[in-house]
Amino acid sequence: MTSPIDVEGGGTSVVVDGAPQPPTKPEDRKLEGRSPGQLMWIRFKRDRTGVISAFIVIFYFVVALAAPLISKLYGKDPYTIYADERPELFDSAGVPVQPNGGISSEFWFGLEPGNGYDVFTKLIYGIRTSLMISVAVTLAVVVTGILLGITAGYIGGRTDYAIGRVIDFLLAFPSQLFFIASMPVVVSLFVSPRDETPTYVRVLALIIVQWVLGWMSLARILRGTTLALREREFIEAAKVSGASPWRIIRKEILPNVVTPLLVQATYMLPSFVTIEAGLSFLGVGIVEPTPDWGQMFSKASTELVLQNDITYMIFPGVSMVIFVVAFNLLGDSVRDAFDPKSAR
Amino acid sequence: MSRGGRQTYAALSVLAAGALVLTGCSKGGSNANDNEKKDQQNAKRQQSSIKFGNAADSQGPAAAVPGAKAGGTLEVLQRDSYAHLDPGQIYVSDEGSLATLIHRGLTGYKATSSDGSKHEVVGDLATDSGTTTDGGKTWKYTLKDGIKFSDGTPITSADFRQTFERLFASFINQGPTYIQQWMADTSGSDYRKLLPDGPYKGKHLPDSVLETPDAKTIVFHFKTAHPDLPYALAMAGYDVVSKKGDTKEKYDKAPLTTGPYKIQSFKSGKSMVLVKNPNWDPKTDPIRNQYVNQMNFTFNSQYEDSTKALLADTGADQTGISFNNSVDAGNIAKVLGGDAAIKARTVAGYQPYVGQININQSHAALKDKTVRQAIAYALPITPIIRAFGGSAAAEVAGGFISPTVSGYDASFDPWGKKKNPGGDAAKAKALLKKAGKLGLKLTYGYQNTPEGQQYSTAIAAALTKAGFNVQRQDIPAETYYDQIGKVNNNYDIYASAWGADWPSASTVIPPLFDGRAVADGSPNYSHVNDPKVNADIDAANKIADPIKSAEAWEKIDEYLAKDVINAVPTIYYKQVQIAGSKVGGLVYDDVIGGIDPRRLYIK
Repeated sequence: MTSPIDVEGGGTSVVVDGAPQPPTKPEDRKLEGRSPGQLMWIRFKRDRTGVISAFIVIFYFVVALAAPLISKLYGKDPYTIYADERPELFDSAGVPVQPNGGISSEFWFGLEPGNGYDVFTKLIYGIRTSLMISVAVTLAVVVTGILLGITAGYIGGRTDYAIGRVIDFLLAFPSQLFFIASMPVVVSLFVSPRDETPTYVRVLALIIVQWVLGWMSLARILRGTTLALREREFIEAAKVSGASPWRIIRKEILPNVVTPLLVQATYMLPSFVTIEAGLSFLGVGIVEPTPDWGQMFSKASTELVLQNDITYMIFPGVSMVIFVVAFNLLGDSVRDAFDPKSAR
Repeated sequence: MSRGGRQTYAALSVLAAGALVLTGCSKGGSNANDNEKKDQQNAKRQQSSIKFGNAADSQGPAAAVPGAKAGGTLEVLQRDSYAHLDPGQIYVSDEGSLATLIHRGLTGYKATSSDGSKHEVVGDLATDSGTTTDGGKTWKYTLKDGIKFSDGTPITSADFRQTFERLFASFINQGPTYIQQWMADTSGSDYRKLLPDGPYKGKHLPDSVLETPDAKTIVFHFKTAHPDLPYALAMAGYDVVSKKGDTKEKYDKAPLTTGPYKIQSFKSGKSMVLVKNPNWDPKTDPIRNQYVNQMNFTFNSQYEDSTKALLADTGADQTGISFNNSVDAGNIAKVLGGDAAIKARTVAGYQPYVGQININQSHAALKDKTVRQAIAYALPITPIIRAFGGSAAAEVAGGFISPTVSGYDASFDPWGKKKNPGGDAAKAKALLKKAGKLGLKLTYGYQNTPEGQQYSTAIAAALTKAGFNVQRQDIPAETYYDQIGKVNNNYDIYASAWGADWPSASTVIPPLFDGRAVADGSPNYSHVNDPKVNADIDAANKIADPIKSAEAWEKIDEYLAKDVINAVPTIYYKQVQIAGSKVGGLVYDDVIGGIDPRRLYIK
């Protein structure tokens, strides 16, 4: 990731707080004043791939947010066990009798082999679960990354050394193995042995572990950027004029790291979605009956589904491929828009 | 025997998922009606009782298999390597199947029909199934002529003395313990005090317990009547061990054999080769045939793998078979779904196991019988059947006695599960309301396997519908039976399964429901302690006539399932097995609980 300060006058630094706008060059015909944000927005709108990806991503978030509403209109929920409610639709092994996994005008995406959940509502609720967890993790990671990364970069010295070693240590940690091993322990700490593990405990555990083991790369990048920024004239000027470190970080440095922050966040979110799905696939994340994207994959990979109902795999598979590709393309476009001179 | 955790490991195939996404269409589920019809016939045929054969029944050779011819090599795909080859250590079913080929005991089960459904207990190495004059306290056996170990030494009563005395030594710790307990007249593991070091330090069982007056005669003396001895002696765990060749612990890897095959090589965890045993005389054996020249075993073949290999039916797999692997749940529909040529290569039948959902009798809230009735009515069986692969893999159970056990009554159905396997939530809710316990918290411990997760969610949903507050608790599959075996466990309801050791309910009802045996690790998982049941068990144990005792056991079974309700019977485990197209003599044997290895030939 190229940091914005490498590009002199490239319009990348979103310098605010009284800093003058970089002078537009005299040969520009329309001498219109544009903020770097506006410039970025104009460049982004010109990128067709980026716009389409953005729409797809927005669509996913809308579907996720509106899942309860959609399922209400559709008249089904992802918890009904249709294999027991409507046994005539299934054979004795729980495979839908109709071809293609029981797709019909009633069940648009068919029925899940096994307990016979409705695939359509299960998918949109699964997207909801996965996206909610991933957004929460991304927010937590961004906040932590900013705090620790910028602190390390700006203060330097021992603080930088200490945070740097913590980052090294956590990066070397086998995160998935750690999660698989620690999940039952975490759960048994919080849940009475007579009670079922509530879903929120699993969700919280997923968020906490992904957060604890996910903030390091962002913090490193921000530390590097801050390290370079700290020596720049406008920071020096702020220091000379007696600004407190907290004010300098907040008002001078933070606006200048928005670009790497946004770009990193758009790359991180889909990777958190896949990590979350991976953990649920392995059976340590969200478990049945709570709908979840990764858990649908693990269902799809069972021999029962592979041998009898391949169609089932399309829905979680295609939807996740589209989402991850769209989000990554969006990330590329955002980066290009902020930083047009850097080579891909 | 307790049923361990059967697990199917989902392949970690995210990439495969992506690739297969593009190939997308699939056909619907199979219609398994015709299979069900055949299974009902299966159930019907099981009801006949097993009789104890006389000297004429015990004479060899075994009836020839129609169309069989000698020669060829059989390829056997097995999931688990054999941990034990010493007869005294053999208890689990896959080693039991192997033992039918290499070991012989005093008695054995002779198939009296060519479909593996009818059996009688006959003398195997003995001339008959045993004679008793005092109702089962004293049993006398006489050895046949011409019986030898694979090294050519003749089998005498001294070998049998060794066989039984070494069972008391501490290194024999995996096999059955019935006869040892009967000899010592104790329960648990106290029997070892009778002969702590086995025969290895010069001490022997006194004539008041085991008498071998001459080289051909063996007499058992018990303090109490044990009319089941001919059944017990037919277990592989009591097959003969050579006195001369007894290498103690080492015998477990390289035993002398007595059956039609001997071990040419055994690489634990990899492979095994069986070849014909030249010292086996078919004239002495009423049970076994010896058609195939050689059997090559390959281990670590998972159910999916062996099914796919045998379905493909190419190369060596054409003469391939698996004695104990079932067709995996995912492939059952494909195997039974239409192609007659494939279906002809399959056999199906009951496994010895019966599933049940225990209702923890130690918990105060569950001492209310109306609550237990509500659970019994609400509990759906369909989710369990679905999870194990449908009607070809499981059948709704009425009582705790399996169709393969003498005395089974197919019409017994106390909770209407056979007609309505989905459960009756409305009736359950009404009962719960009557008891004033709506919203009662039920902690449901389930085995954390893909099957367990699937059926437990559906069962929890059904119980919730009936007005319970169900809390599901996952229990790791590896320690499942340890966890539910603790008397002060936290769970209210939990599943378990049990298989009879021989086709008499005397190996089912006493271990599962005798209230005096409640202890950590005891298979009385529901902790039932009902004075009437305890008394009835003692009475039934004394009945000498196998048919009358079967009736007595069935009565206890019905009383438990209907009036005590300490557990709800769920399913009879079944399985479908498949073999290559060139394997002949394929028969599902109900006593073995799988393919009968003694009748196989290569077409």
